[in-house]
Amino acid sequence: MKRFVLRWEAALVGLLVLEFIVFGAINPRFLNPSNLLYGTSDFVHIGIIALPLTLVIISGGIDVSFASLVGLCAIVFGVANFFGVPLPLAIAMALAAGVLAGAFNAAIIHFSRIQPLVVTLGSLYLFGGAATVLSGAVGAGGYEGIGNFPAAFTSFGYLEIFGVPAILILFLMLAALFAVLLHLTRFGRAVYLVGQSPDASRYSGLPVGRVQAATYLLTGLCAAIAGLVLSSYFGSARVDLGTATLLPAITAVVLGGASIYGGQGSLVGTILAVFVIGFLQQGLQMAGVPSQVSSALSGGLLVVVVALRHGSAMLPNLIAAGQKAMTARPRRFVEEKTND
Amino acid sequence: MLELFARNRVATLFVITLLTFGAIGLAAPGFLSASTLATVMANSLVLMLVSFGTMLVIITRNIDVSSGSVLGLSAAVLGLSLNAGIALPLAIGICIGVGALAGAFNGLLVAGFGVPSIVATLGTLGLYRGLMLSLTGGRWIEALPQSIKALAANLGWGGSVLTLIVLGVFLILWLFLRMTRQGGYFFATGDNREAARHLGIPVRSIVFSAFVGAGACAALAGVVFAAQIGFIPNQAGNGIELKAIAANVLGGVSLLGGVGSAVGVFISVIFLTAIDSALVFLRIPAFWNDFIAGAILLTVLVLDGRVRMAVDRRIRAKRYASHHGAERTKSPSRPSATAAPAIPTPHTAPEAGR
Amino acid sequence: MALRDGTAAQALIDVRDVWKQYGPVAVLKGVSITLAPGQIHALLGGNGAGKSTLMKAIAGLVVPNSGSIAIAGTLLDRPSAARAQRLGLYLVPQEAHIFGSQSVLENICMGLDKPAARLRGRVEALVAQLAVSLDLDAQAATLEIADRQIVEILRGLIREARALILDEPTSALTPHEVEALFARMRALAASGVGIFFISHKLREIREICHDISVLRDGAIVLSGPMSAHTDAEIVTAMTRVAAPVAVDLSTAPAAAPAPGSERRLEVERLSGEGFSEVSFSLAAGEIVGLAGVVGAGRTELAETIFGLRPTLSGAVRLGGAPLENRSPSVCIDRGLVYLPEDRQQFGLFLDAPLDWNASAYLMHKMPFFLRPRDEARRFERFRSAMGIKCESHLQPARRLSGGNQQKVLLAKCLAADPQVLILDEPTRGVDVAARNDIYALIRSLAAQGVAILLISSDFDEIVQLSDRVLVMAFGALEGELPRGASVDAIGGLAFGAREAADA
Repeated sequence: MKRFVLRWEAALVGLLVLEFIVFGAINPRFLNPSNLLYGTSDFVHIGIIALPLTLVIISGGIDVSFASLVGLCAIVFGVANFFGVPLPLAIAMALAAGVLAGAFNAAIIHFSRIQPLVVTLGSLYLFGGAATVLSGAVGAGGYEGIGNFPAAFTSFGYLEIFGVPAILILFLMLAALFAVLLHLTRFGRAVYLVGQSPDASRYSGLPVGRVQAATYLLTGLCAAIAGLVLSSYFGSARVDLGTATLLPAITAVVLGGASIYGGQGSLVGTILAVFVIGFLQQGLQMAGVPSQVSSALSGGLLVVVVALRHGSAMLPNLIAAGQKAMTARPRRFVEEKTND
Repeated sequence: MLELFARNRVATLFVITLLTFGAIGLAAPGFLSASTLATVMANSLVLMLVSFGTMLVIITRNIDVSSGSVLGLSAAVLGLSLNAGIALPLAIGICIGVGALAGAFNGLLVAGFGVPSIVATLGTLGLYRGLMLSLTGGRWIEALPQSIKALAANLGWGGSVLTLIVLGVFLILWLFLRMTRQGGYFFATGDNREAARHLGIPVRSIVFSAFVGAGACAALAGVVFAAQIGFIPNQAGNGIELKAIAANVLGGVSLLGGVGSAVGVFISVIFLTAIDSALVFLRIPAFWNDFIAGAILLTVLVLDGRVRMAVDRRIRAKRYASHHGAERTKSPSRPSATAAPAIPTPHTAPEAGR
Repeated sequence: MALRDGTAAQALIDVRDVWKQYGPVAVLKGVSITLAPGQIHALLGGNGAGKSTLMKAIAGLVVPNSGSIAIAGTLLDRPSAARAQRLGLYLVPQEAHIFGSQSVLENICMGLDKPAARLRGRVEALVAQLAVSLDLDAQAATLEIADRQIVEILRGLIREARALILDEPTSALTPHEVEALFARMRALAASGVGIFFISHKLREIREICHDISVLRDGAIVLSGPMSAHTDAEIVTAMTRVAAPVAVDLSTAPAAAPAPGSERRLEVERLSGEGFSEVSFSLAAGEIVGLAGVVGAGRTELAETIFGLRPTLSGAVRLGGAPLENRSPSVCIDRGLVYLPEDRQQFGLFLDAPLDWNASAYLMHKMPFFLRPRDEARRFERFRSAMGIKCESHLQPARRLSGGNQQKVLLAKCLAADPQVLILDEPTRGVDVAARNDIYALIRSLAAQGVAILLISSDFDEIVQLSDRVLVMAFGALEGELPRGASVDAIGGLAFGAREAADA
């Protein structure tokens, strides 16, 4: 298994290099380092969510509610700011809202035993609705958003540390943290084991429910972080900040090698896939491809890559079946009549 | 009582819907009028069609999240064909063909390549939306001919040709799932795939055709959309796939496959649409819509889950209780029945399953 | 089976030289067998002998690697269940395939050309002929195991199959139902239907079958008319491989526990799902066999002790102190470890590396930051001590053979350093060599003072290893037998025939 994952990650690195070569050839400006670095600000928030989502999916669950939770947490921050709550406290409130929302998901999944996809689909509407209601409450109405943030907050979105965007550094730090958590700790091991076989985990005395709950809590937390990052980047908190992250984030996790059935995947793969998807969009844009088409291509990429992976897994069986058909000897038996 | 609720999901939903209508009617006189009903019906047509298609897929224990994009893609094809001067019937035919083809590609990925349906349709969600946008060049398709808009015109009884079409689809689907052998295969495939295979049911073709049906339904929804709105924006159908899944779940279609009915989905779509209209009547700001829809969906889900758990527990308790009682009463007669087996059987355990 | 070659043209089923491999393991090694119209043909074999695989191949559910299968003279060249059924074959599987959310009637008629409602009359007639009571409108999920089996048999009957395969159909039926089924089978055979009858119960086979074939280790080792073979011959043919194990007994017989030695596990009037009022105790260094047939409540008892199922009443004491609010992690902490019966589903993490598996019972004792090198070393220790054959500790457990998988599962249990070990069918589906290794291991564990409860359906195994034997039947302890009790005595108690034990 480990060997397979490593090979998969190597394939992702190859894909990334291929993108650099192709887009660099089309438009040499693409390879400009500062251009590459700044480009990441457009998609790093997707990565921030894809990190905990990898854990959710490896442990056998799924979460789609983050897409509206990003907006909800941003709105919580915006409303707190609107009422003059000091900046650190407002940030803490947004993060707490994210964790609470994650706990809400985990509790419903645990106590109703309904599939996580359905539960988080329900909370996708609930959180989105709550965000709309909240922003309506302070008169921000609809989708224009809540602004007027302190300069300290909005400047973070464009802050550079040694020429590297602060948002990118934040993502890389989170990525390192999650990679350590998943690959080097007891908790990460439990995430894998629970995803591979909930039954065997229960028989081994692992706290299946608690492990899964923790992954949803982490997703809530990271959705809040993503909401804050986006608010800072755009200078306003909007309800729909996260709606466009739903598919790219899940795509990144699946493209990164995680099995939607749980038990398999790696954080390094997810991180690489985030950059593969992000730079694909960017490169296509710089090559003059309309943004609509680039979204089609990333959808197509997911389909092709996953179909190839499943297809190659099935190939040996197909070959065996073919050989069997070739060697089946129609000996002295009456040949079957085609009466169907 | 619990079992009654669990077994008659559709009836329960129907009663709740009636009660809701009644309550809203009391709070906001004027809501319970023929014109409101007509509006609710007309507003629910697009979601209804998409939900029917999604239901076919969910019954086979798969999921389709690409239907919103299929709707957009086929609507765009319809608009472009019409504006290119192709006659309406042919244009509609092409549109539905495109939808079925998109569904067939989903089906190929899932039934042919064994890609998990959520992953496959997640990919095609982006793919089809991009195809649509590259077809239209990112521009909205406007100035659709009058012929298609006429489809949405009131026929004098509050409904339109579109209403008739949707009711026809509903009837056909209901008959197909309830009355035909192939309809039964859909449920069997989703209920217990291994058992279905064992009984010689062509499991893969069933899954494939479910996706084709879902694509065709989404395309038909695209026709309705174009006729009702009169133009085709870029984001046509965006997000409707999630609404359709929610409507299915609310309508008693189990995501675990094998359970569901067209009637349940019909009622639940009407219910969800009525809530939207009711908010207007109750003078509740429109921004409460999603919150209320989400709260209702989650409440129903949690209730449903708890009821199912209670029923399961009861069945389990009954099984062990009766197992006990039966075996105990049986045991005295046992010695005579199996009087001293001549040869003890060293391997009484069933063969480990391969 | 060469003797039937002359009649091959009329044979309902003609299997020739069928091979089937799963990875490196050959499950069927050139099997040939035929079934004639009107014949009831018994098929016997131990666990893992390949019976189920052979029958699935005939039913089109498993594709053989080589060889040919013909049904009613037509070659099954592109095997599928639908094709086999169209040719007139129906397999009644050991575990009924049920569509839980549909009615019983719909379950029976699924896949037929006519709608269920119109077949109701015929189904009702068949139900009457079988002399069973079955509510056709009940939801199938609520059916008991025996009724599910009836549904499967009705499926075969309503399809008017010319050849039937019944895979252990009587294991869940009452004697009365078995009689009715046999009457029906005789009538079917008289009308020209051929039946393969798989069973472990020789008495039933004698009663109903004309011919017999014994499968062992993927090959047919005995076949012919029922009357030509004595029971003793058949049992020998079936178990010859297992016999050398008996010799192994002389090498290291466990010392009987010293009198008055410490009681490690005490179970007092414990009742749970599927068993009631069970009391027994285990001493340090003692191997106690828990015998019984499938469904006697042994696994339920073990899982209740280990905290996986609710306790209805009674108490468990471990090392003299009460063991309350039991859960697997509490039990593991206190030194009580359970090796589950179904290693693929409950025991192993099949896609995880071997060292992860070996450490799984230690998860809650591990430091927050894992020490992979410790885990690899731990696995290496067990690998060399137990002779586990694998490429490396990174290999997923799925790719090991059954015997090696079972050793990894044992390593997982031993890593937790148990004081009391409950082994549930520790040698199921395990080849002879690994079986001997596992027996030696169990004895050496007992010699080191571990108290062992050995649950097994293989009474020879129980006799060879146990210091005492407890026999369970129908959810209760039927009796206790001393060391050296005969297989017959155990069998008598396990099947509920008390007088056999007295004999």
